Amino acid sequence: MCARGSGAIVPAMLTAKVVTVRGLVKRYGQRNVVDGVDLDVLEGEVVGLIGANGAGKTTTVECLQGLRRPDGGTLRVLGLDPVTEAARLRPLIGSQLQDSALPDRLRVAEAVELFTPRGGRGGDDLLARFGLGERRRSAFASLSGGERQRLFLVLALLGGPRLVILDELTQGLDPAARRNVWEAVRQLRDQGTTVLLVTHELADAEALCDRVMAMRAGRILDSGPPAELVDRHARRATIRFGLEAATDSEALLDELSEAVGVDHVERQGGRVTVYGHRQAIAYVGAALVRGGSVPADLSVAIPSLEDALLGLLDGADTPGRCGDRAREHHLIGAVR
Amino acid sequence: MTTSFGRLLKAELKLLVRDPLVLTFVFVFPVLTMLIIGGSFGTKPDPGFADRNPSHWYVASYLTVVIAATGLIMLPVHLASYRERGVLRRFAAAGFPRWSFALAQLVVGLVAVAAASALELGVAAPVYGIPALHEGGRVALGIGLGAIAFVSIGVLLGTLLPSARAAQAVGLMLFFPSFLLGAGGPPPHALGATMRGIANLLPLTQVTDAIRDPWLGLGTASGSLIVVAALAAAASVLAARRATL
Repeated sequence: MCARGSGAIVPAMLTAKVVTVRGLVKRYGQRNVVDGVDLDVLEGEVVGLIGANGAGKTTTVECLQGLRRPDGGTLRVLGLDPVTEAARLRPLIGSQLQDSALPDRLRVAEAVELFTPRGGRGGDDLLARFGLGERRRSAFASLSGGERQRLFLVLALLGGPRLVILDELTQGLDPAARRNVWEAVRQLRDQGTTVLLVTHELADAEALCDRVMAMRAGRILDSGPPAELVDRHARRATIRFGLEAATDSEALLDELSEAVGVDHVERQGGRVTVYGHRQAIAYVGAALVRGGSVPADLSVAIPSLEDALLGLLDGADTPGRCGDRAREHHLIGAVR
Repeated sequence: MTTSFGRLLKAELKLLVRDPLVLTFVFVFPVLTMLIIGGSFGTKPDPGFADRNPSHWYVASYLTVVIAATGLIMLPVHLASYRERGVLRRFAAAGFPRWSFALAQLVVGLVAVAAASALELGVAAPVYGIPALHEGGRVALGIGLGAIAFVSIGVLLGTLLPSARAAQAVGLMLFFPSFLLGAGGPPPHALGATMRGIANLLPLTQVTDAIRDPWLGLGTASGSLIVVAALAAAASVLAARRATL
């Protein structure tokens, strides 16, 4: 189902473009908060728009929903123009907005009734599916943070939207509630719903997205499947183990140095550290097995998306490395 | 009620009776103060009350207090709170037309005025009696136009003020002087010339005159009615423009 990693199988479903944005610009005063963004989302994808607070993510999706009027660029969402055809477009989109609420005294079942479009059904099923069946009579103010986010998901899904936009869905949630919400998004993906996930939580993007786009200062710096971005910005896996006394250490270290994907091998006393591409994990493991001695203290560290992109997103990375437009367009072109 | 407006109106009407601020200021406060001040000046016709029963004077005046509480406190706080907490953005993103929320608030405000007025008269009837209507049509017109004017002012304030706290502060600051000088406070003869001059400039005084004078047979109050009609037209146009931006 997923298109994770380079060379992944792309299902036939991922063909139609749900979102197409070219050169989107949005200014607040003299400042370009969105500065020439190009963006494509294909049907059935879960795409993450990631970046630090103030990167322009929310403004971008607000333009997509017709909640803000762009100052430049072209946008098509589900074949419609969000500026001139917002009334037709909004019923086709399910939205979970950042920093928005419901009236405190509105009950869960009443919220579902209020947001169910004409002829829409299935509210009770959705409440049950997202674990809110027992909370139908509860007021919004009495819900926990996790319950509120799940209710927002339910409201976003009423009427069977073709595109779901989730903005900072796990903001303020404890780990257990976050896992619940992740599971809910995975259910959406399994059903083939197209999801645009806006987040500054890179763990969310890594866990859920087929593809992510990294934004900083209103521009998309890089994009691709999470694993590709990790490879590009933090290639090394690190494998550590202790040498056993009976091991022919010189022969083993020579073999490891030649193994596919290994960049560098270090030895400090009885401890060995191997740096390399993720593929190296398999080759190092195979070499250890062939050597007849698999160390009990073997450990592997793989950089996460957060490890890989933190510097890029908070501005510590040099613009020349990833920020040039040619590379950006090449990357976006890869998904067209 | 399957249209977006119908669903919004149904939800807002339910929320109306769950809001303690609404219950306090729109339903309880006018009744309580009407009972107190209506019993303070006796029930015999008094020259200070244009030779009318003072209790009846206040019963006829207090519908305006309900209108003011709805327009100056309930609606601004409600709307500013929705804007502050992103509720309106959520409605907009879900495809509710902008006009539908403004229209729902107008209807909710008018329903609140009607329900609280009925409660006030229901309480007054066994205690002070309800004064006879001399010109029912003009009274109904005064109530209707006054309610539209102040509900529209409420929607307008709610779209202009930045937060619920600001709306509450501004709303109370506008409400109490209007209440004391223009509707439910001391009788006109007890006010000095300066205070009477200020009172005559208040929109709520015009609404009160447009209702009370034809009700108690004190005159047609056509001037006040025209002012209230103009206020209703201007405020509703401005509110509609602000609410649909």
